[in-house]
Amino acid sequence: MPFNSLPYLAFLAVAVAVYWLLPPRFRRVFVLVASLAFYATWGVVFVCVPLVVAGMVYLIGTRMVADSGKAKSWMWLGITCALALLLYFKYRGFLLTNLNLLATSFGARHLSLATAIAFPMGISFYAFEAIGYLVDVRQGRVSMPKFLDLCLFFLFWPNILSGPIVRARELVPQLNFHKALEPRFFFEGFDRVIWGLVQKNVVANLLGIWVDRGFAPTVAGIPSTIDGWFLAIAFGLQIYFDFAGYTNMAIGAARLLGVTLPENFRQPYHAATPPEFWARWHMTLSRWIRDYLFFPINAKWLGAPLPLYLSLFCVMALVGLWHGAGWNFILWGFLHGAYLVIYRVYESRKAVLPILAESRVLAGIGRVLTLMAIAGAWVVFRASSMTKAGAILSSMFYRFGTGRAYGTGFYAFTLVILLFCAIEPLLLRKLSEIEESAGANGPSLFRIVGRPIAYLCGLLLFLLFDEHNTQFIYSQF
Amino acid sequence: MLPDNASIRHAAREAASEVAGQPIRDGQRLVTSALIDSLSVLKLISLLEKKLHVRIPPETLQPEDFDEVDLIVRTIERVAKPAT
Repeated sequence: MPFNSLPYLAFLAVAVAVYWLLPPRFRRVFVLVASLAFYATWGVVFVCVPLVVAGMVYLIGTRMVADSGKAKSWMWLGITCALALLLYFKYRGFLLTNLNLLATSFGARHLSLATAIAFPMGISFYAFEAIGYLVDVRQGRVSMPKFLDLCLFFLFWPNILSGPIVRARELVPQLNFHKALEPRFFFEGFDRVIWGLVQKNVVANLLGIWVDRGFAPTVAGIPSTIDGWFLAIAFGLQIYFDFAGYTNMAIGAARLLGVTLPENFRQPYHAATPPEFWARWHMTLSRWIRDYLFFPINAKWLGAPLPLYLSLFCVMALVGLWHGAGWNFILWGFLHGAYLVIYRVYESRKAVLPILAESRVLAGIGRVLTLMAIAGAWVVFRASSMTKAGAILSSMFYRFGTGRAYGTGFYAFTLVILLFCAIEPLLLRKLSEIEESAGANGPSLFRIVGRPIAYLCGLLLFLLFDEHNTQFIYSQF
Repeated sequence: MLPDNASIRHAAREAASEVAGQPIRDGQRLVTSALIDSLSVLKLISLLEKKLHVRIPPETLQPEDFDEVDLIVRTIERVAKPAT
């Protein structure tokens, strides 16, 4: 049951209504049952996977607390179990295919294990949450909650499919569900849910039609330079609106229950540098990587250049691999690793050459280069083959050609969405000023008239564009 | 022996201002406001070790343990050991 479907909207409406009608002491069990039912719609048998993860974390976490002398060993056992599950369900096919390729090149026999198996939705997200949880127990940041709390933490339906990747210390304390109903939960929740639907069904899905056509493996040859750039930009916008749309729906659903989930995006295409992009894009994954991988690795060398550069490459390659079991994802990660290394080298020169830090022209060039580099990397991420990626990238950067293969609608729509992204911070500032003028829960013309009209328009747009509906891109990760 | 609370607070404020490149007030967020990144946190740790003559083992730390002056003080009091 995808978020952008009528059955889900009906489920959400009923679940939220029942939740607030129930006495607080029954809400925890209700949310767990609703979450299990929601997850079961993706495959009844897969419900056992997050339950197994919760059970494993509970057993190992309890051992870590009881026997602090062996806490480190227990933590590593837990991390290994979480990674083994991820490896089995997500990377098994990729590993076997590559092992078989290697075996064939040495004249050895093929491994004939089944490579394609069904994939429990959201496993990449809750496996990372499990690892983070175990590290936090080891570092004494969280106490051991009850098993029911852990099940709720891993299965909470608003964020089980594709995050945001939540820390136990920010979600578990909210899972007592004892908050009294406040009108702002509904304003804030519906704002995010409806806007998420529009982002996904109207913007991302429409762009997806043109992007799918441009990236189709059947389309041979090198596109014109303008088409190459527009395809790269259109995919960058599609994936942003797709994932930000999903995230808004997740945050909105949680908000309707009075729960606050962390933000995942902060206008990523306003980034002036590669590190800033990662501080604005999929922020909860960046935070996880920073806290549990990048910081511990570099803490050993206190940021010495060589280990830093090496770790940036490796960590970003892992970020790529986390996104999908494919070489294109790993290459996408390496590219971002390279961008970060280049930026760090440039930054280290700023101390020696003050002109680098002071020049506005250089800062402007840096901003444009950052966006061009990100667009180029999206081509590698999206392309079905390296040949396809090479064809589009060559048209963008050195094999300049003229011509247009699409109708005016594609170019105009992409430019309009690009313009929207440019003014998005301004629009958000204006909206928050209107909100603040009405207070947290007070009535205002905007809330009584403007909001219902906006919700109605959003729902109509969602229904109107439902025929082009597709899955969220990040649900495949 | 570890320095007293006032000395740690003074050193934390000084080191944070130096790393952020601007004066830092008590309560001002450093990491969650993106004023400094995780690499700057490593520089901050290094500076604090020099200023306070302590050793801060980073294995059990996360960047947000250095998110504001109060947290830095608490983190040092929790994990720092006198330099040998």
